Amino acid sequence: MANMREIRTRMKSIQDTMKITNAMYLISSSKLKQARKKLDNTMPYFNALTSTIADIMSLLPYDASYKYIEDGSNLIPEEKKRRLYIVMTADKGLAGAYNHNVLKMTEENLKKGENNVIFMIGQMGRNYFNRKNIVIDCEFLYIAQNPTLLRSRAVAESALDLFDSNEIDEVYIVFNKMINSMSCECETLKILPLERSAFEKKQGEYVHQATFSPSPKAVLQNLVPNYVKGIIYCALVEAFSSEQNSRMTAMESATNNAKDMLRDLSLIYNRARQAAITQEITEIVSGANSLSANSN
Amino acid sequence: MSAFKLDIIASDRHFFSGDCNAIVLPAIDGEHGVLPGHEDMVTAIKSGEFRMQVDGEWKNVAVSDGFADIKPDSVVVIVDTAEWPEEIDINRAERARQRAEDKLRQRQSLREYYHTQAALSRAMARLKVTKK
Repeated sequence: MANMREIRTRMKSIQDTMKITNAMYLISSSKLKQARKKLDNTMPYFNALTSTIADIMSLLPYDASYKYIEDGSNLIPEEKKRRLYIVMTADKGLAGAYNHNVLKMTEENLKKGENNVIFMIGQMGRNYFNRKNIVIDCEFLYIAQNPTLLRSRAVAESALDLFDSNEIDEVYIVFNKMINSMSCECETLKILPLERSAFEKKQGEYVHQATFSPSPKAVLQNLVPNYVKGIIYCALVEAFSSEQNSRMTAMESATNNAKDMLRDLSLIYNRARQAAITQEITEIVSGANSLSANSN
Repeated sequence: MSAFKLDIIASDRHFFSGDCNAIVLPAIDGEHGVLPGHEDMVTAIKSGEFRMQVDGEWKNVAVSDGFADIKPDSVVVIVDTAEWPEEIDINRAERARQRAEDKLRQRQSLREYYHTQAALSRAMARLKVTKK
């Protein structure tokens, strides 16, 4: 039979931990509410951005090749391609599998080729790759906590600088995406170069061409950086929202587990208490019996 | 009066959606007027004053960088930010303008220079819209 005091200290420590997890649950649920609101406000932008770019891609004249657009002329073999990954992790842990999923997916991506460049957003990923001695080429701090257009512009510019100076061939972002209000999923999204095929319209749909004013080149020169920045911003907002979401679920299940443990422990505790009392009574009764037997 | 459907989508909200008679947008090579039945066109927008005519009445909007997808019966404008004149904090825009002008006088890297210039044009656009 377990010691009563031992059980009590155990229960005390579980209660203390539960207070923390419960507080974290409350904090992340209120943060999630704000993040969700921001996400809802950004969603129309994201949808319009992707659909309009798709539209523009289909309108683009075929007679010339453009820097930002994949036209099949780039014949570098898959494993030789220089890829840039923008990895979005959280600044803090205790969010279930959130960070783990992103890092795992990034590592899988890194295996595809030897020439990788990593842009890291968030502390957790930075610590992880530092431990593994994988070189991070550029770090962006404080962004994961508070995504703004200004900060995503900084990320987009650094990526475009590398792309423009022909140091990389492809740009990807790895981030967590909200599937519905309860679950999120890790995703690798290719942002550069733009592919016509990815945006190809369905067969039979009316195909038309548009004027690009002043010229396709000038428009793309302005449009593509804007698109990259917008996509990065949306991904950041999405990642922040799913971070809060997974932290909330993780903390909720931690609190529930603590409650279960407390219930089991209090049962054992009561049993131990009863056993102790029973034992005491038996001792007293048997003592009294032996006393009365002696006096008789 | 003929009209077309206009959607203005900013990064933080669906700014405007509805019928519109005419718009004038600040493109990279100058202002562009769009009337119903305009040919298919794609153009990039830089920060500036965006004017639109709704129910015969002209309205001003301060927009920043983005692009527009123009079709004969609809126009989609996607910009970083879009604000009505009454939403703009004039003092803040004025401060931003002065800050950018001060910065432009100092020596800075090319990227910083572009940033400052963009900041200056955003501030100027806001101020211009509120002056009306």
